[in-house]
Amino acid sequence: MKHEFQNGDKIALRNGEEAKVVEKLGEGGQGAVYKVKIGIKEYALKWYHIGVIPNIKKFYKNLENNIAKGSPSDAFLWPLHLTEQAGGSFGYVMELRPDNYKEFSEFLLARVRFASLSAAVNASLNITNGFRELHRRGFSYQDLNDGNFFIDPLNGNVLICDNDNVAPYGENLGIAGKARYMAPEVVRNKKKPDVMTDRFSLTVVLFRLLFLDHPLEGKRVVESPCLTEELELKYYGKDPIFIYDKDDDSNRPVRGVHPNALRFWPLYPKFIREKFEFALSKDAMHGKIARPTDNDWQIAFTELRSSIVTCPCGGETFLDLSGDSLCVCCGMKIPKPPVLSLQGRYKVALFPEMKLYKCHTDRDSDDYKEIAGEVIRNPKQPTIWGLRNLSDTIWNVEYKDGTSKILSKGEVAVVTKIKQIQFPNGVGTVI
Amino acid sequence: MPNIYDGAVEVARRTMTLFFVVDASGSMDGSKMGTLNAAVEEVIPEIRKISGENADAAIKIAVLEFSSGARWITPAPMDAEDFTWSFLDADGLTDLGEACKALNEKLSRKAFMSDAAGSFAPAIFLLSDGEPTDDYKPELEKLKQNNWFRKAIKVAVAIGDDANRDVLGEFTGNKEAVLTVHTPEALAKMIRFVSVTASQIGSKSTGVGKGGVDEAANKQDEMVQKLGAVQETDIDDGDLEW
Repeated sequence: MKHEFQNGDKIALRNGEEAKVVEKLGEGGQGAVYKVKIGIKEYALKWYHIGVIPNIKKFYKNLENNIAKGSPSDAFLWPLHLTEQAGGSFGYVMELRPDNYKEFSEFLLARVRFASLSAAVNASLNITNGFRELHRRGFSYQDLNDGNFFIDPLNGNVLICDNDNVAPYGENLGIAGKARYMAPEVVRNKKKPDVMTDRFSLTVVLFRLLFLDHPLEGKRVVESPCLTEELELKYYGKDPIFIYDKDDDSNRPVRGVHPNALRFWPLYPKFIREKFEFALSKDAMHGKIARPTDNDWQIAFTELRSSIVTCPCGGETFLDLSGDSLCVCCGMKIPKPPVLSLQGRYKVALFPEMKLYKCHTDRDSDDYKEIAGEVIRNPKQPTIWGLRNLSDTIWNVEYKDGTSKILSKGEVAVVTKIKQIQFPNGVGTVI
Repeated sequence: MPNIYDGAVEVARRTMTLFFVVDASGSMDGSKMGTLNAAVEEVIPEIRKISGENADAAIKIAVLEFSSGARWITPAPMDAEDFTWSFLDADGLTDLGEACKALNEKLSRKAFMSDAAGSFAPAIFLLSDGEPTDDYKPELEKLKQNNWFRKAIKVAVAIGDDANRDVLGEFTGNKEAVLTVHTPEALAKMIRFVSVTASQIGSKSTGVGKGGVDEAANKQDEMVQKLGAVQETDIDDGDLEW
């Protein structure tokens, strides 16, 4: 059952303030979301339908704790204030979603498309990092699915919503989620959602984001005319098979039904495909081997981002860091550029427009957002490329001819001459 | 600028067909049919919205009317996107057996359930105000053997006291899935509630079964549970007569 608020209604908040309903924004299975005004600022307010929360007292208390702890990062539309309970239900206030952020389901329905390869890879990186930050603060998300994200298609910036199900490690709020995103052991009702099951759900979300099909839905699922509850239990719980399983081809994508997977999977570099093959192997799905951690994915997507370059055709493509590459847009051959190997963890193609981030130059950093350097073309001789230091630290560049150069902020070293770079807390070697 | 994602197409979505099986016998004439027509017409945009925002499944709608014989209003299930409700007229008998026969014929991968990406089990919504006038039993028995029917979410609304709740209970498989309404307001409310809830449950991937390890979820149970909640709290059906 649900209670409908009318425009102009006032909802009392726990902190003594009032939220005035401006308009209803939407409605889901759990509750309705309204645009409200508190003072002069507008927010979103989610109000739960009556009877959908298994244990209201526990749920309310949990939200209260989450509000007190604060948001893990700015990628979350985190609960800010609780309302008073009224008429057997309650709600909470969060920031409004800006219009440039689109629902993940709109990408899946091809109503919105990523503006570039970088945008898609950035979105994967941002979602991964969001969950990493969440897990690092001792929370688990519990109900990760395609309804939890808003993404800016231009740049891949991400907002994670529905953070009301988030709970401290070991806690469970009785929310189980959707079969298509739940870990097999949760679908089978053998385990309640937690950090480990979040990892599985994250893998499904990442796969769907990049390849725009479902990792467990191929031939054998299509061959079942009616997907009954029993078959859902089989395909997502007891006997899931990845559509690109290395050793079992019984569930491959079907031409005409899964064109996105068939189109995008082969375009992605091998190391990323192998990551998914591992994460969705039968052993990893059944929990016989550990699933990749959020950090594993973050490193992988950071590296993937460092392999994206703009081809002379104007489109973005991946560079194979071990040899020549073919542009995914026009098919043109792109010779292997110099590659900088950093801290034994990352590889970056030294190709114009490529950025170095703090996590590349500092072995103790995992900051993939702060730019530390960039590859540029010489304005007068564009065929000569240089690496510019954009950080506040001083780099010591060792050239192949045995000479060296001190690189302060803003200064540039010629890419083809570089042998090694000493950063204050790290080293990069050209391979 | 060339961009590989320009080539992305809509993900393969299953189909969930919502069947309206409507008693259009003479006794439905007047305010019953009037209310029914108006209520279904009003709920269609909501179903369109549920379908439009759903990456799991697209919703299609099929309409079967029965009176003296049964007749498909939709020659095939139609995308909720394109569907508009044609107002039904009431006249003739209550041939429920004919309706069961027509349903049984079309609940097949060779007929209505033929989508390439597969389907979820359908949701079947029966609305009737009277006793069947034909020998419905043999056709209902055959229909009950149909796997699509067996797995379907089934709800019936008995309009007024002349409807035979036992017969409708045989159709849905459990009496809890039969609701009785006595007023136009209650009918309109129930049409909205059942159509929206069945569309939501039917078109989504299921959650976790309640029965323990490796027990499948059950959408019909979920539906019945929601119906129970709404009957207790939401419907003020009073003592008004039609």
